[in-house]
Amino acid sequence: MTAEWLPITALAIALLVTGIIFVLPEESHRLRTTINLLAAVTNIVLVTLMVRRVAAGYEDIFSFQVVGGVDFVLRTDALGVMFAGLSSLLWLCTTIYAIGYLEGSANRKRFFGFFSLCVASTIGIALADNLFTFLIFYEMLTLSTYPLVVHRGTEQALNAGRIYLRYTLTAGVVLLLGAVLLYSLTGDQSFSSEAGLGDYLNDNRGLLTLIFALLVGGFAVKAAMVPLHGWLPRAMVAPAPVSALLHAVAVVKAGAFGILRVVYDLYGIELSVELGVITALAVAASITIIYGSLRAIAQEELKPRLAFSTISQVSYVILGIGLFGPFGTIGALAHLLHQGLMKVTLFFCAGNYAEELGIHRIDEMDGAGKRMPLTSIAFTIGALGMIGLPPFAGFITKWYLGIGAIQAEMYWVVAVLVISSTLNAMYFLPIVHRLWFRLGPSHGKGSWPDEQRLGRFETHGWLLLPMVFTALVSLAAGLLAGLPFSPLDWATRVANGEYLL
Amino acid sequence: MIASIDVVEVALALCLTGTALVCLFDRHLLRACRFFVAFAIAMALAWWQLGAIWLASAELLLGAVLTGLCCFYALGHVGSSGSSVLAHDHFSEPWTRIAMRVVLALVWFVMVAVAIGYVLTDMQHSPAEHPLLLAGVVIAASAMASFALHRHLLRRLLAFNLLGSGVFMLLAGVAGTTPTAQVLISVGLLVAALGSMLGVLLIRQLLHLQGVNALDHDSGPKESAT
Amino acid sequence: MIWRFGLFDSTFTPLATTHWALLTVLCLPLLMGLLAALFPPKRAWPVLLASAPIVAAGLMLLFAFNDAGLLRWQWAVADIQLSLRLNGLSVLLLLTTQWIGVAAALYTPGYLRLSDPGPMARWLWPLMGTLISALSLMWLATDLLTLYVALELMGLAAVGMLLLSGKAAALKAGMRYLLLALVGSLTYLLGVALILGHWGRLDLQGLAEIIEPGPVAWFAAALVGAGLALKAALFPLHAWLSPVHENAWTPVSALHAGLVIKASLFMLVLLWSILLPDAFYAPRVIAWLGMLAIVWGGLLAWRTDSLKTLVASSTVAQLGYLMVIFPLLLGADVAPLPRALAWEGFWLQLMGHAFAKAAMFMAAGNLILATGESTLKGLAGTSRRLPLSLLVFGIASITLMGLPPSAGFTAKWLLFEAMIITQQWWAVAALLVGTLLTAAYIFRMFRYSFDESAPRQRYQPLAPGMDLIALTLALAAFALGLFAHYPLGLMHGGGV
Repeated sequence: MTAEWLPITALAIALLVTGIIFVLPEESHRLRTTINLLAAVTNIVLVTLMVRRVAAGYEDIFSFQVVGGVDFVLRTDALGVMFAGLSSLLWLCTTIYAIGYLEGSANRKRFFGFFSLCVASTIGIALADNLFTFLIFYEMLTLSTYPLVVHRGTEQALNAGRIYLRYTLTAGVVLLLGAVLLYSLTGDQSFSSEAGLGDYLNDNRGLLTLIFALLVGGFAVKAAMVPLHGWLPRAMVAPAPVSALLHAVAVVKAGAFGILRVVYDLYGIELSVELGVITALAVAASITIIYGSLRAIAQEELKPRLAFSTISQVSYVILGIGLFGPFGTIGALAHLLHQGLMKVTLFFCAGNYAEELGIHRIDEMDGAGKRMPLTSIAFTIGALGMIGLPPFAGFITKWYLGIGAIQAEMYWVVAVLVISSTLNAMYFLPIVHRLWFRLGPSHGKGSWPDEQRLGRFETHGWLLLPMVFTALVSLAAGLLAGLPFSPLDWATRVANGEYLL
Repeated sequence: MIASIDVVEVALALCLTGTALVCLFDRHLLRACRFFVAFAIAMALAWWQLGAIWLASAELLLGAVLTGLCCFYALGHVGSSGSSVLAHDHFSEPWTRIAMRVVLALVWFVMVAVAIGYVLTDMQHSPAEHPLLLAGVVIAASAMASFALHRHLLRRLLAFNLLGSGVFMLLAGVAGTTPTAQVLISVGLLVAALGSMLGVLLIRQLLHLQGVNALDHDSGPKESAT
Repeated sequence: MIWRFGLFDSTFTPLATTHWALLTVLCLPLLMGLLAALFPPKRAWPVLLASAPIVAAGLMLLFAFNDAGLLRWQWAVADIQLSLRLNGLSVLLLLTTQWIGVAAALYTPGYLRLSDPGPMARWLWPLMGTLISALSLMWLATDLLTLYVALELMGLAAVGMLLLSGKAAALKAGMRYLLLALVGSLTYLLGVALILGHWGRLDLQGLAEIIEPGPVAWFAAALVGAGLALKAALFPLHAWLSPVHENAWTPVSALHAGLVIKASLFMLVLLWSILLPDAFYAPRVIAWLGMLAIVWGGLLAWRTDSLKTLVASSTVAQLGYLMVIFPLLLGADVAPLPRALAWEGFWLQLMGHAFAKAAMFMAAGNLILATGESTLKGLAGTSRRLPLSLLVFGIASITLMGLPPSAGFTAKWLLFEAMIITQQWWAVAALLVGTLLTAAYIFRMFRYSFDESAPRQRYQPLAPGMDLIALTLALAAFALGLFAHYPLGLMHGGGV
């Protein structure tokens, strides 16, 4: 049985929802919400189908020719399905959260329209099977996130949008150049082809290295690797669901995912090692990890601290790629999922604090655990996971990365991991401490910056539900890592494919 | 081969060049328009002389009558509106501009002449044999210069018309008055007449909306010969 | 090069129905235009009804070409040979013309109803019909005489349309355009005169066989090129373009920027590929100018405060892309593969830009009509109130920026491949810089529209369908990019 409709349907649903939302009038909130949720659930079902089929050994391919020598190809492979699963799961959560978060505010049609477009692009990125298709959705993602970043329309938001575009569009141009160079050298290369580019090594070593630099450099902008990270902290002015989506799934992960594709599926890991670019990648990732953590410590507001934490954490994925060996790969892939789940939880929490209590600065958080226990518990789970304490999800990643580093005999990476975990603890533990062990307004000491009673629970139900869900999932990802279809299990499956173990 | 020089043609060529130059460079607009009509009649005679009766009548009708009427209409001498405010072109150009345009026209002149020299190789030896062709080159060059130089819209329109006539003459000179050439020239004549009509209507409308100053172009034209 | 333009003998003679389709395509727009002058349509549906047979005839020509390959018609009237041919390229351009023309015509009734155009409005219809007929003739013509007639018809109709708004500024700009266009065609005519005088014939097929490089061909090419470049607003002869669009009606601007300018460019490529088949310098000069055009047009659009000037200046820059390709299209020593890629990229870029620019002018017109402001600052807050118009503008601008999945992107991809194979790095750089500059001015405009701090204004509601027509055009540019294989396949010859 073939099911070539599967990848294109998943994509088409998200695109169709975008269209419908743009056509619906601004006021029909209920219909829009229904359609949005329905589509998100359908997509999860579709991705589950894909997962089952991939697990059973089928790969569904949808393709047509765009111009001579260039095809548009969607394919459900293990790596792609992993990313698609992450985005469709978090799409549902973030949509629910956004419905609660934006209740009563203006421009919701525009917001949800571009939000769906953003998710459609992410699914396209996940399922793209060649560089051309990948680029299509990658640029679509750039464009569809711009309206989300500038959503509030303030001077600050508009400036952030401009900087975001400066970085990402320039990166897009660099990517385009790299992609065309690659195509003119090798023709249309499917991500699924076993051959890699080894055949071209002897004659075109310099060119291949240049193309690698162009492609990875282009992707590194979205992955926010130092020194190309400048747009990310500024983009924090966006509404909380957008920050969650941008930082946990769509944009930064798209960059990291692009690097994964280039290294594993386009060049092949052997060729990458042969070219010597892998070590450079690992070094760059390490610098980013340390730098991001240091900057995070210096931040006094919650969202910027989380942003710099993202910069640091995403580079774990890159670092995992940089370790030649299956364990590094497993660590990298599992971290792609784990970090997504944990970071989205943290951003939901930050959004809840800001909405319910008006908290933006870290020193305003004293004693918030009493006032908002669920949110604070979720935050704690996320924070401990980020630090990498066992048995949380982050520990698994760091463990595998450490093993990978030792196997690859790159002992300095272990040092990086240790330093980074210490730094993580330095910027997350004080917050946790403030939440639970300090006396604050809820103990009758002072008052919250801007307290609102948004619902019967500690805050609005729509805000609470997705946060609790993602917190539980991230907890489960750590605790139940040994079960089939857990992130770790799936990452192992992908890594097996790459290294042919 | 001196005997082959046709006195009538020479006279016509001189007449054409003379009227064209007056028409192009006289600041007194009414006189310029009168000379334009004279030029058009001379053109018709030239076509007749070349044996293109059809073109002669077309030139007479479209060039002399229609375009002439148009020009007088633009000046306010024909038609109901009595506001004859256009008498002189008062715009004065800086000498740098004039120098630039003269150089430009010279380049244009040389280029056209050389090109025609290549097409009609025998002309290089006896240029006087083709007086109308020579007149065409001169007229086309001076009309181009004038078109580039003037800012008064009516004068530019006149310059365009003369440029057209010059080009038609060149066409007939290099390609003869074959049916194909005649059709090309007829189309050109028709377009020129239509364009002039459109232009004149525009000029009147602009005058109506903004007065005399409207005809001053804000910035210079941008065309060059190559 | 010559066979690409379909300048060879056909295998099949056209069927009787194809004759009728040809006649319909060439004459019906004109007739319908005249009819509409008598009975100006107030709604879109009569326009739709009138354009249906024209589009149907266009599609019939497409099918005829698909079945039989190149088709050729010839007449001889009193020693004058006239001929038309229908090859893949002409079919594509013909369909592009018809669809954009129909979109503009459908857009017009709503626009006229809302914008209070004055008594001249009814003349728009015959001029529009003439324009479409002339353009259709131009894509099919294969001799310099027919081309000249089509060019003049198109030029005069275009000038007439641009003047209709009747404002003093429009008249001034129109007068300038008129004079330059007329001088441009005289320059062209002089070039034709040289060709006729030296080689004694005007049919392109015959000329392609006998023309040998030499001073006459160079002079003729220079004259023809200068005249057409002036009409096509190629840098540095573009100065007339922005003022003309600044004051014209929206559907007129859409047609003009989308089609009229392209027609002159089409003729330029056609004639130069015959006159200068293996030239070295001339295409390179054009390409250098094109690079300047990309930068200069981008800067103009970046600096301007007026929405329409932004859209018009971007045309200058986009034409620069096309100019940069000239050395690959016409130059000597270009291998077959890059030449084929450049050829495909050129026409894809041209058609994609035609659709996108028409959509963009319509979206800009909608924004201006609804807000009553023509400056960029006047757009503040439109993202809240006019999201659809803005979205259309955005989709169209994606094609202009050359971002996926648009025709602009696919075209750029092809062009990059061609340039990389031939190692023309400066051209690659020009295209990359152009992309960034385009993004700069497009998002400068969007920045204003997302500004929420502006005071609320009253907006005039738009007629139904005005946004949808523009959206359809913008999406057509996307479809052209994603499914470029079929149209580009048409250009390689049909009948198989």
